[in-house]
Amino acid sequence: MKIIVIDDSMTTRRIIKNTLNQLGFEDIVEAENGLDALTKMDGIQLILTDWNMPEMDGLTFVKTVKSSVAYKNIPIIMITTEAGKDDIIEAIKSGVSNYIVKPFTKAILEEKVKAIISN
Amino acid sequence: MNVEYINPFIASTINALSVMAAVNPVLGKPYLREDNTIRSDISGSIGIAGEVVGSVALNFPESLAMKITGNMLDDVVNEVNDYVRDTVGEIANMVAGGAKKTLLEKGFHLQIALPIVISGHNLNTMYPRDFPCVVVPFTIDGENFFLEIALDFPAK
Ligand SMILES: [Mg+2]
Repeated sequence: MKIIVIDDSMTTRRIIKNTLNQLGFEDIVEAENGLDALTKMDGIQLILTDWNMPEMDGLTFVKTVKSSVAYKNIPIIMITTEAGKDDIIEAIKSGVSNYIVKPFTKAILEEKVKAIISN
Repeated sequence: MNVEYINPFIASTINALSVMAAVNPVLGKPYLREDNTIRSDISGSIGIAGEVVGSVALNFPESLAMKITGNMLDDVVNEVNDYVRDTVGEIANMVAGGAKKTLLEKGFHLQIALPIVISGHNLNTMYPRDFPCVVVPFTIDGENFFLEIALDFPAK
């Protein structure tokens, strides 16, 4: 399974990548923001994205992906510091399948990724 | 500045560092900053706008920033590299984001900006002079770091 990890924090990208590797996923693509990610979507089967990023934020990226014929069915997990109820509702309405609030544990990330995969 | 407004930042600092880096920050006694005596090597700050205006910053000595980064990456970190600077910014982002949620529940609507990280040696930390700045000292394994909160809350 090919997975894209989108976050402007290189530390957070590496933490997420380490966890995915431990779950057995090896084909991981990294992007620094939504705009960068849009150029790396070929063959992607799962998206893990941050919200607050320069160039193109995560919510705009999600809306762009969901309006694209080619990519609209790819499941999206949002991993963000934005934890307000209205923010979470807005993200889900925009097409996010699962939501993780930073700071997060590896256990939570594993649980949410497994839940998506088993669907 | 009301302690009711400071506590969300203290709580989110402890939460971010304990969850992400498995360290236990011990809270010291907060005080109002009145001079330029706060020194640090790496500072991560987040601008805040909306009904609450100002900034919040986390200021670390090199050794502590390397330790936190190493714990987060499950790796040995013995120089101040891009990962260390990035980590300080991302922790500041989590601190501001966590406090934002609590303040929202208290009725304050605010937005947080992207982190700005400055690194060097023994820097004099920056803060907006227009607002009162509360300094919150913490200790991890005998080393100090500082949370600085310089915010203007509307009268409610
Ligand atoms: Mg971010």
